[in-house]
Amino acid sequence: MKQNLMQRSLNSQECRTNRSASESSPLPLREMDGTVATINRWLSRTIGRALAVFIVVACLSDCSGETDNDSGAASPGGGSEKLTICLLPKIKGIAYFTSCAEGAQAAADELGNVELIYDGPTDGDPKKQAEMIEQWTVDGVDVICVAPNAPDVVANAMREAQDLGVIVLTWDADGVENARSFFVNQATAQSIGQGMVDAMVKDLGGPDVEGDVVIVSADATSANQNAWIDVMKPALEKTKLNLVTIKYPGENASAALADAQDVIKKYPNLKGIFGISSVSFPGAAEAVEQMGKSGEILVTGLSTPNEMKRFVENGTVKSVILWNTIDLGYLTILAAESLAKGELKPGDTTFQAGRLGEKPIEGDNILLGDILVFTAENIDEYDF
Amino acid sequence: MNALADIAIKLLRQREVGLVLLILLVTAIVSLVDPGFLDDRNLKDILVRSAPTVIVACGVMLVVVTAEIDISVGSLMALLAALMGLMISHNEWQLSMWIGIPTVLLCGTLIGLLTGALVTLGNVPSIIVTLGLLTAIRGATTLLMGGENIDGLPDELQTLSKVGPAGMPLGVWTAVAVLIVTQIIITHTPLGRRLFALGSSDYSARMTGLSATRLKLFAFAYTGFLTALATVVDVPRLPKIESGIGSGFELLVVTCVVVGGVSIAGGRGRLGGVVLSVILLTMVRPVLTFLDVGEAGEKWTKAIQGLFILIAVITDTVVSRSRRGGARNTSSRGTQVAVPRDATGGPAA
Amino acid sequence: MSIADFMKRFPWWHEVILGVLLAGLLSVVGVVNPQFLNLKGQLLLSRHLWEFALLALPMTLIILTGGIDLSVGASMGMCAVAFGLCHANTGSLALSCLVCLLIGTAGGAVNGWLVSRMNVHPLIVTLATYATFRGLAEGTSQGESYSQFGDGFSQLARGMWWGVPIPAYLFALMAITCALYLSKTPSGRYIYAIGHNELATRFSGANVDRLKFRLYTFSGFMAGLATIIYVSRFDTAKADAGTGFELDVITAVVVGGTSIYGGRGNIGGTVLGLLLIHETRLFVSRQWQIEELRSIVIGLLLIGSLLLYRVVRPVHRD
Repeated sequence: MKQNLMQRSLNSQECRTNRSASESSPLPLREMDGTVATINRWLSRTIGRALAVFIVVACLSDCSGETDNDSGAASPGGGSEKLTICLLPKIKGIAYFTSCAEGAQAAADELGNVELIYDGPTDGDPKKQAEMIEQWTVDGVDVICVAPNAPDVVANAMREAQDLGVIVLTWDADGVENARSFFVNQATAQSIGQGMVDAMVKDLGGPDVEGDVVIVSADATSANQNAWIDVMKPALEKTKLNLVTIKYPGENASAALADAQDVIKKYPNLKGIFGISSVSFPGAAEAVEQMGKSGEILVTGLSTPNEMKRFVENGTVKSVILWNTIDLGYLTILAAESLAKGELKPGDTTFQAGRLGEKPIEGDNILLGDILVFTAENIDEYDF
Repeated sequence: MNALADIAIKLLRQREVGLVLLILLVTAIVSLVDPGFLDDRNLKDILVRSAPTVIVACGVMLVVVTAEIDISVGSLMALLAALMGLMISHNEWQLSMWIGIPTVLLCGTLIGLLTGALVTLGNVPSIIVTLGLLTAIRGATTLLMGGENIDGLPDELQTLSKVGPAGMPLGVWTAVAVLIVTQIIITHTPLGRRLFALGSSDYSARMTGLSATRLKLFAFAYTGFLTALATVVDVPRLPKIESGIGSGFELLVVTCVVVGGVSIAGGRGRLGGVVLSVILLTMVRPVLTFLDVGEAGEKWTKAIQGLFILIAVITDTVVSRSRRGGARNTSSRGTQVAVPRDATGGPAA
Repeated sequence: MSIADFMKRFPWWHEVILGVLLAGLLSVVGVVNPQFLNLKGQLLLSRHLWEFALLALPMTLIILTGGIDLSVGASMGMCAVAFGLCHANTGSLALSCLVCLLIGTAGGAVNGWLVSRMNVHPLIVTLATYATFRGLAEGTSQGESYSQFGDGFSQLARGMWWGVPIPAYLFALMAITCALYLSKTPSGRYIYAIGHNELATRFSGANVDRLKFRLYTFSGFMAGLATIIYVSRFDTAKADAGTGFELDVITAVVVGGTSIYGGRGNIGGTVLGLLLIHETRLFVSRQWQIEELRSIVIGLLLIGSLLLYRVVRPVHRD
């Protein structure tokens, strides 16, 4: 009985209802809209065909273009063959990592036997990082250099790559202990967090300055920012500065600007803002500038010098903290190449790094050197 | 007395009244905690931040009124911002503002038109077209920018968008102008009437000789144009142009439109409600800052925003149910016929 | 019967197109770089697929009724936090999995209740819960991430049985169940009926509200299940689990031939759609190594596949 009813209800769709008429115009309407219907048919056919042609052409043109590279990538390297080295940034498409990639490319050009692949998630999703490591592992590349955005998430993929014979090293941020061979260490979370607090204290005029400070982070779940905050909180407790709140505008420029404006209005005793993401640093600086508080409220954070030059010149920002990102990319690729060739081994204490000279190795950390503080005096000396 | 109560109930059923009450309530609570919230500067900031959302929401509202949807505006904004930056920044191609800005507006309109063409002529559902464009345009923008940020927009444009004529940034003036134009389109032109007619019943609208194609093309092109306009007036306010601009903007706009009382099924909605809901949702962040919810509280920001929307949606349903005279279990499903509710197998047995 | 007539009546156009596209893609891939087709590699990389695949099943059912569920990704965030908190406090994996499933189901039930009892449009409901669920996850976990669930648990998503990834069995089981449910049971048929004409279905005596409620609840349950795989795969439970999944899942379902207006589509199409998207993604990112290109191609594939369908069958019944 039920089935019968069912059948009937399904049959009743044969006679058109109001809604389905809107989706595909029934015949009488088609006549009313005659020209449009013709265009409609013509267009849908043309678009479809154009698309099909485009896909075929795109695929074919690629076949001819890239095959050589990939056969190189596919064969596990060794000896005089070309090495494939993958450089995985935390986020692709932001100025910081783009400048690292420039340095890496320079190293690859200098070495000559290195095929450099620079790719990463454009939204900084660590899940996608893990998936890319897995893909490269399957492709059989020689070395993968990972800047883990969340060490736990990529750990499994990194271990698996190592098990399958790929050399894995970390750069920019360290991974889980047993998931990599070396870490190209430019700065730990400890030194970054402490460095920002020290710079703020110094810029405000010494350890006796009292006042409120605010941190403008990225998302509440951003692993790096949270690691820095964990260092900054105890560091700030040792000073006379008072951390009043932490804002999480996400990777959104408008929200970062808005949040910084609001905290300036809310806390009249505010002395400084830490902008600890690539979006919130310029956002906070812009807010201070727009509110006419340049010089009164100081902003500090991590950024490439070129990004913040404008704000350093007008006094909103006194110190920008970073390291030489071009050198970081360069050193990473050099280390990756010597690891693959077997020239760099666990237990070594120094590493000969091309134009950078000799770099010390502590345990399994290859040290790039101290963090740099860019100020109005020296910022023009750097261009990256 | 009864008459008064009647009027009160009728007023409450208007979405605008509810939203105004909610805004006043929130403002009152925050001002009690910190009177600084009522500072001129703060109120102005809220207006400035609402401006781009209001501008784009005017377009998306017209799209939703015709029973379509556009969820690509966030990515489109990023693409247009990148284009604008490349053309007129003094670090890039250094074109004149008078060439660059019209080109951006034109591009926005053309992409809107393309979206509309895919929906009407290509006969692909709008949510799919705009979902596809959302992903594709964001990818194209990142490629176009090549991992670098763009700054150095012309000073005049930056000053206009930050300070603006008579102390009010350009965005607010533009939003007011767009609101007036859109209101005129809706209430005083045949075009507006037709858009609403099309949305309330596609079939009847076609039967009376309206061209759904042309009307929808207009709605999408208008949205594209307004997105370009919002980009031009709002993006120079930001410190630099990066490829992440406008991420999540599309959902904010759609949320504002539906919280503002525009029916997702088309044919119903008023501009006032949309503007008020934009202001309400823009207020959430500053409100939380001024309430000084503390570090742990900050991490609840998203939840509070979500609950705001959820409450707005549920109250509206409850109110609109009581409007139908308490016919709870029958006609509350938006159909004109009373339908037996729990009747599985009923007629059959 | 003329050819045109046949083309109009043939019911499997979308599946055929998808099959041809998939075969075409694979053969191009095979010519360009035969290594891509290496079975071992493919099985290893199939990991990227399973959570999407699990979520795509209830999404297909919901879209078939003309609804949509935008909250699945956020729901996963909530489930992951529930899992992490439970594990941190009790240390029991089994209990954590149970709590994870329960929270997912509860979230789904909230959606279902709002859609079926309060009669709010599903797009609006799930847009609101999308923001709420993710927010609740961030608030309760304070952005913390939970990790170290042990190697054994990692094997759930990363391990193999007889050369096939473990989640594949789970997916196959759920997919076959859903397909049988859709085609063989009365309420499965009612799902199509609702998508075609909800009012008529009500008149025909189906309990539409109860069915819709169950579908959204099922979607929440599957979000919980997908979360378990997700947590096992990355050994991390955090509030940002499943970010952006909702759009990818909808893309797979729609490319798989399910009409966004409801009433047309099936599980087989969804499976093909999932495979096509998965292979396209793999191909694009392994061939060009440009992440941005991947999103462009997927976006165009979504629009293009629907346009292509219109070209082959310009007039069709939705």
